[in-house]
Order: sequence, then structure tokens, then C-alpha cells
Amino acid sequence: MFEHGTNTKERNLQGGAITSVNIVVAHGLEARPLISMLELQPEKTDGRYLVYSNSAGATLIVSGMGRDAVIAATNYLGEQQRDEDDRLRGWLNLGIAGHRTAEIGSAWLANKITEQISGASAYPPQLLAGFASCKVITVDKPETAYPEDAVYEMEASAFYEVATKFSTAELVQVFKIISDNSSNPVNNIDLAMVPTWISTQENEILDLLSKLEFLVTEYNVSHSLSPAYESFCARYYLTVNQKIQLKRLCQRYRAMGREADLIAMSVSASGTGKQLLQDLDSQLNGVSSR
Amino acid sequence: MFSAIYIEQEVAEFERVRRLLDRFPQVPQVICERYGQIFNRKSQNFRLQKKSPALILAKKYGSLVLPAPAGYGFDESNSYYFSHMLNCIYDCRYCFLQGMYSSANYVLFVNYEDFESALEDKIIENDGAGVYYSGYDCDSLALEPISSFCRHFVPVFSKFPDATLEIRTKSTQIRCLLEQNVLDNCVIAMSFTSQQAAIQWEHKVPTLEKRIEALRKLQQAGWKIAIRFEPLVLDGKHGESYRSLFKSIFSSLDVDKIHSVSSGLFRMPVEFHKRIVKLYPDEELFARPTSVADGMIALKNEDEDLQLMEIERHLFEYISPQQYYRCA
Ligand code: SF4
Repeated sequence: MFEHGTNTKERNLQGGAITSVNIVVAHGLEARPLISMLELQPEKTDGRYLVYSNSAGATLIVSGMGRDAVIAATNYLGEQQRDEDDRLRGWLNLGIAGHRTAEIGSAWLANKITEQISGASAYPPQLLAGFASCKVITVDKPETAYPEDAVYEMEASAFYEVATKFSTAELVQVFKIISDNSSNPVNNIDLAMVPTWISTQENEILDLLSKLEFLVTEYNVSHSLSPAYESFCARYYLTVNQKIQLKRLCQRYRAMGREADLIAMSVSASGTGKQLLQDLDSQLNGVSSR
Repeated sequence: MFSAIYIEQEVAEFERVRRLLDRFPQVPQVICERYGQIFNRKSQNFRLQKKSPALILAKKYGSLVLPAPAGYGFDESNSYYFSHMLNCIYDCRYCFLQGMYSSANYVLFVNYEDFESALEDKIIENDGAGVYYSGYDCDSLALEPISSFCRHFVPVFSKFPDATLEIRTKSTQIRCLLEQNVLDNCVIAMSFTSQQAAIQWEHKVPTLEKRIEALRKLQQAGWKIAIRFEPLVLDGKHGESYRSLFKSIFSSLDVDKIHSVSSGLFRMPVEFHKRIVKLYPDEELFARPTSVADGMIALKNEDEDLQLMEIERHLFEYISPQQYYRCA
């Protein structure tokens, strides 16, 4: 399985360095330990949601409980970040949950998410190694009987459905920490313990976030654009379609090891947008088999 | 080896499945309804998944033996392909599977007996003849220790001496073949590209030397072998890189006994190429100039015919033209 090198402790990863990951939690109590763990600061928003972020780019939103709330909050955050070009972000739904037998405070990565009311299931790709995984069942009312050997909670299915519209499924994960089980049922939860249960999993959470971030970064680097792209866009009037063509041309120059040519052209070129695209294309296509 | 194993509910109790799962107790095992829920989902990224693919155990419905694409094989007779598996444990950058599927997970269809009946029906329909290719949607041998594909399917063809089974592979997992009786109507076809291309684009694939060694052992044991030079990526250097490749291969084998040798240029459906470009915008191979004809995309090469002739000229220093065909 994909390990990408050393673990978090060895790399001494600091929460404040986590970038490009959105965390969606249902409740302020779940947010509290993450705010200090990731050195998050409150963001100014329109007041609909509490949103926190750190200087490196990690963002946390408090959605409220249940499927409708998480749909709205995940959409809200995704839409806010729409202008980030083609870059993707990781998405993590983190929160407390119940399980028939799992130990209180233990943590589980979802390998299957079933929405109880519809029976529909989704399967988050399991690219992040080293975490205990389990089926997650999203219910509309707290589950007290825990009929299946699964984690029960109230947001995951809705979160997953919406977050995968903003990112690719590999980068959308659900991580649940057990707050109740048959011996300590949901009505007896001591809410004051929520931050402690989450804090106790700090190493796991940071490890998970850093692995997620690693994949996000790799994706974004491989899809990044030459700075020449912005220079061209600033110098030429280009239609949406022409910008798409320009993007691909810039990628091709970089892939073919000719970014220096591209940058040189970005400061010297003149004429119309159409001519620019033709020039870039013919220069590239002049290089046939190598 | 696998990031997870997904098991269709319907096959969960298959003996073949139980045996397989017992070998991977440490891998998360997840029950699903149909494999398409995982494999055909939108919003997946083949490139990311390739880092840590999962195995999906499923049952294949519908047509199990299909007509081979035009120009795929060596024979004029009716040809078909069958895929007990989708996707491959290797990671060749030029592989069209990256554009064909949205998931890099491996699907293993475990209803071998259904494939077997479908093959038998098709062979009977063809009066006991026809060519049957395995390895179109996967590498036939690469997962042999887990799939036991050869162990199951090669003996099926012992009943039909006029039907030919071609097993296409880049794998050196040949023990299953060496341990069973040689079948005269079974051809093991090993694919090669130039050394330079292999280094650049064939990730996780056994080395050239190991593949040649596997072929040598198979030939020595009496198996029919074939060589597939695919995809040819022309480098404008008069086939020099192929010259050394041909020397390495043919100096190690009994050339007269080679069943067939073929070559095929890099090409794939335009739609697949588009999808692969989205996955690998930074890949030099896909940044090269291309040309499109009949819905297929190919690399644009100056003097393509000349370069191909040069390569073939080098090839015919070792094999006879009768042993050779060009893929369409
Ligand atoms: S060995 Fe064949 S099937 Fe496997 S990745 Fe390479 S080209 Fe694709």
C-alpha cells in the first residue's frame, strides 16, 4: 500500500503546516481540538458558518449536525474555493460516532459509507495506509442498537456525495472517533469528553492529514501551469475556449522540457490571441519524433 | 499488495474467493453489491489510484467471449478475446487501459466456469477452430499466483487442438506453465518496447533480461512463444534502439521455433487519449504532436514509413518475413 515515506512523527509534521485540506465537522466541540492542533484562526465569513484556516491553507468548517446541514456547509466551502483554478483540495469529514463493540476513543477510516434511509453505498478509495477501516452507516437519528458491525453517525454519506463534486474520490475521506458503544450508549455521552477523544487521536489525525495532503500536492504539482500562462492571459484577450487551448499548450511545453521557450515567448510575443495559439502550436509541432 | 479487497456479495461464498481471501487476512475486505459501484464511478482518478490499487472480486455477466478488434491478431481466422480481469499490476505510461477505465483497481472475474463454457460454445460455433486472445484488458500472467488463470484456462484448450489460445503478457510468472503439459495450440506472446522506452514508460514491468529469460525457459520446455513489439514509438534514429533489442531477444531464443513476431505503432482511440492527457498533463509522450484518423490517435512522425522499414529491415536480419505481421 502507498506509504510515501516516513510517518508523521518521524517527519515531525506540525499541524500548522497542513495545507490544501478541508475539514468538515458537525459540532463546535469537534472543531475545538482541531483548531489548536492545526493552528487555525477564525475566518471572516458572511456569518452563516464558523470557518477556520491556517496560514498554510488548511480550512475547517463547522457544518451543524445531520445530512442537510453537512450538504449545505460542504457546498458552501466548495463554492467559496471555486476560483482556485484547477487545483484540488483534500476533504475530510471528522467527527464522533457510535459502534457496537469498538472501544471509546478508537478511530476508524470509512471504507464503505451506506446511507441508511436510501440504502445507497459509496466506497472511498483506500489509498491512505495505516488506519483501521470500517463500514460507516449514516443514520438520521442516533442509533442505539448498533445492529451491524459498523460505525454509526449522521453526516458521512451526504458529505461524501457533495465533496466528491469538488474533488476526486481518492482525496475525500471520512474519519470517525468512537464516542459511544453498547456499554456506553449514545444517551450517556459525556459531551465534555469530545475534545479529549479527538485530541487523543492527534497523531493519527495528523498522519492522515499529511498523507492526504501529500496526494493533493502531488496531483496539484503534476497539473500545475507554467507562470507563462498567466503572462499570456494578461497580455492577450482570450476566449474561454482559447484559454483552454493555451493551458494545454503550456502543459505540453513543460512536459517536453521547453518551458524556457514558453517563458521567452510570453515576454516577447505580439499579435492576436489566435496568432499566439497558432505560433505556440506550430513551434511545438515542429518538433516531431525525438 | 492490495489497498483493499472488494467482494461482490454474489461471489462471497465462492470457493475460489474464500481461498483467495484467506491469503490476505490483513487487507480490509469490503462487501459490495456490484463491482461497477466502485469501478465505474465518476470522480475517480486512475493516476492516484494506481499508487495503491484495490482488488475487486466480481462475477462477469453478458458476453464473455467477444470478437477481437480488427487487426489485433496474427491470423485471418475468426478471432476473439476474453477478459477474466480488468486492469494490470504494471504501469506502462502508454497503456490504453488508463483511458479506458476510470479506476485503476483490478477487477478479477471469478466465475471461471462461465468463461469456460462461453469459450467452449464459441469454439464449437467455429467448428473447433478460431483464435482466442487473453490479455487485452489486463496482463494475463502477471497476477497468476493469485488468479490461477493459466492453471484453469490452458487445459480448456487441450480439448480443442484446432483452436488457438494466445496469452499476451509482459510477466515472468511462468511457473504455472512450466508445471503443466505443453499445449501445442497455446502461444505465449511477450511484448517488448525498446530499452529506452521500457526505462521511460514501463513502470513495475520485469526487466528486458528477465522477460527474455522467461521466454527462453518456456521455449526450452516446448511452449510456443511469440514476440510482440508494441507499441513502437519511433525515435527518428533509424531503428537503432530496436536493433539492440532484437539482438538481445533473438540471440537468446531458437528463432525458427518462434510462432510469430508482430509490431504495432502507438495508437489508441481519441477519447482514451483525451482522458489520459487529463491524468498526465506532465507526460512527455502525450505532449508530442499527434495525428487523428478514423477516431484513432497516433504520434506524428516524420518519415514514419521509412523508420518502420528500417526497423523491419533490422528485424529480418533475425526472422523470416513469414513469421512477421504488422498490427493494423
Ligand atoms: S503490461 Fe500491458 S496491460 Fe499492463 S500496464 Fe503495461 S501495457 Fe498495460
